[in-house]
Amino acid sequence: MAVQLTNEIIDLLNNQETTKVLATLDADGFPHAALKQSLQPGENDTILYLEFLESSRTNKNLVRSIWFDKKVAIALRGQGGECYQIKGTPVKTHIAGPLFQEHYAAVREKHGDVDLAAVWVIEPEEIIDETFAVRRAEEEAAHPLFLHLDRRARQG
Amino acid sequence: MAVALNNRRREAEVTLTEIVEKYPDFPRLVALKIDVQRRGVHYTERAESVVDSSIHQMRSPYIFGSRDGQIRPLPESLILRDGTSILTDPTPLEQNPYLVDLVDGRLALINEGEVVEFVELWPKPRYYDKQTSSGVPMSHIASARPQRLNIFQSSFCHFWAEKQECRFCDIVNHTKQQKDELGVPTRLKPRDVYETVREALKEPGRFTGMCLTAGSVLKGEEIFDREVDYYIETLQAIGENFTTKKFPSQLIASAFNEKQLARLYEQTGLMSYTSDLEVLGEKMFNWICPGKAQSVGYREWRQRLIRAVDIFGRGNVGTGLVGGVELAKPSGFTNEDDALASTLAEAEYLAEHGVTTVYIVWVPRPGSYFRDQQNPSLDYFVRLARGLHNLRVKYGLGVDFDDYRRCGNHPDTDLSRLL
Ligand code: SF4
Repeated sequence: MAVQLTNEIIDLLNNQETTKVLATLDADGFPHAALKQSLQPGENDTILYLEFLESSRTNKNLVRSIWFDKKVAIALRGQGGECYQIKGTPVKTHIAGPLFQEHYAAVREKHGDVDLAAVWVIEPEEIIDETFAVRRAEEEAAHPLFLHLDRRARQG
Repeated sequence: MAVALNNRRREAEVTLTEIVEKYPDFPRLVALKIDVQRRGVHYTERAESVVDSSIHQMRSPYIFGSRDGQIRPLPESLILRDGTSILTDPTPLEQNPYLVDLVDGRLALINEGEVVEFVELWPKPRYYDKQTSSGVPMSHIASARPQRLNIFQSSFCHFWAEKQECRFCDIVNHTKQQKDELGVPTRLKPRDVYETVREALKEPGRFTGMCLTAGSVLKGEEIFDREVDYYIETLQAIGENFTTKKFPSQLIASAFNEKQLARLYEQTGLMSYTSDLEVLGEKMFNWICPGKAQSVGYREWRQRLIRAVDIFGRGNVGTGLVGGVELAKPSGFTNEDDALASTLAEAEYLAEHGVTTVYIVWVPRPGSYFRDQQNPSLDYFVRLARGLHNLRVKYGLGVDFDDYRRCGNHPDTDLSRLL
């Protein structure tokens, strides 16, 4: 089920300084994670991924995903250390048409003589706050036994 | 939500859903494409009401005719959400086509009252509104697909003149109709082609390749010399538009000899070569393509393809099949297993020698000799697509020049997106 993107995530996706990773699955089920700075917010709470290389592993894995309903994961890390993981499904790819041509012109304006193979539309299904402070607080509340004893040892 | 109902179904047909269950490793969207191509489409009035000829590509001149035998202002064709093109045409309702209807404001493919998939229409290229300096509408010079330019430089085929046309082909009947009803030229002038390509290239991101094709021309000092001359002239005119000598391109032509192929390769920007055997196996070829059989012969046609690999390179030479025509009546295979085994064995021989085989879905068109026949089952076409794809995997053969994007008409090469 699709989930809404928060403003914080939209800002992270829009920020060039955010580290963005897209993880897909290959034919043998092995994860393939790659830095993908072209991830950006799309319309109606979707995420767009611009694929520059037709024959890239990620592109093939995305085709496999849309054909056989396999999930993808996106990791975002902002400059302030905030981290999110978004799980979702590729629901559409634009390989022609107005949206494709708009992005084609934009990437060439920005990056020079590059090509554009596809504009993928990913529908987010789950958003997990992976910021360390947040995850640590969650773990301490849910699993008070998960710690090394020396951390609680009286000093001296 | 209400959708138009169309309950007519071919007898004892295995459905798309059953096929998807039977072949879980075959993409449902490609199986759907095949089924839509097998059965054709009918646009409901509601669907037609949202077609906008200023942004959607309407049916433009094509080398072959449509299943309803008419030329009407309808959308050219459809694209699925995975980027798969469906090349299909309007089909009479009695033949049980998919319906294209409007559902919740979007166009959808409908089968037996159910939405199968939402679809989009092909976008119209900007050059479609322009004319060449000689006054010909550019849409009559090059027709577009979502990412490719089609240049049908002549719709004359010598085999028709001798009543030896391929039995599934309607090129000459359709050409007459296009000429009479639309004024489409039967032979293109290289200058018009140059100007049209120049205009098409002004739209960034619109095209990734082009394909030239025409009927066979036997004339010349050696058979096909004239055909080669004409292609060279046109390709050279097109080449003036590019900064590099070679440009992504495909030629689908007769089976040329080495001298002719070398001229084409050396004197033009052409990057790939296809010569269609149409049907594999000498017996079927002789029956279905009598003109080709008599002028060149099956074995020599095949050898010419193999020799073309030395000139254009592995992965740049192909042959096209009219998939399913091997099951035509009365002299075709009588069961699908035998037809498939025979076709794949021959395709394997070609693959071993660096020639890749692709197919289009056979549609018995009203202007062809096989007009009253029925094409095979969806199951057959799925197995054919898988079989041809698996040969490319086995022999490490690419098919970049004829894939889902640079062509879009071969279910088997749609699968090469995973190669
Ligand atoms: S060679 Fe055969 S398929 Fe091609 S145009 Fe001539 S008759 Fe038609």
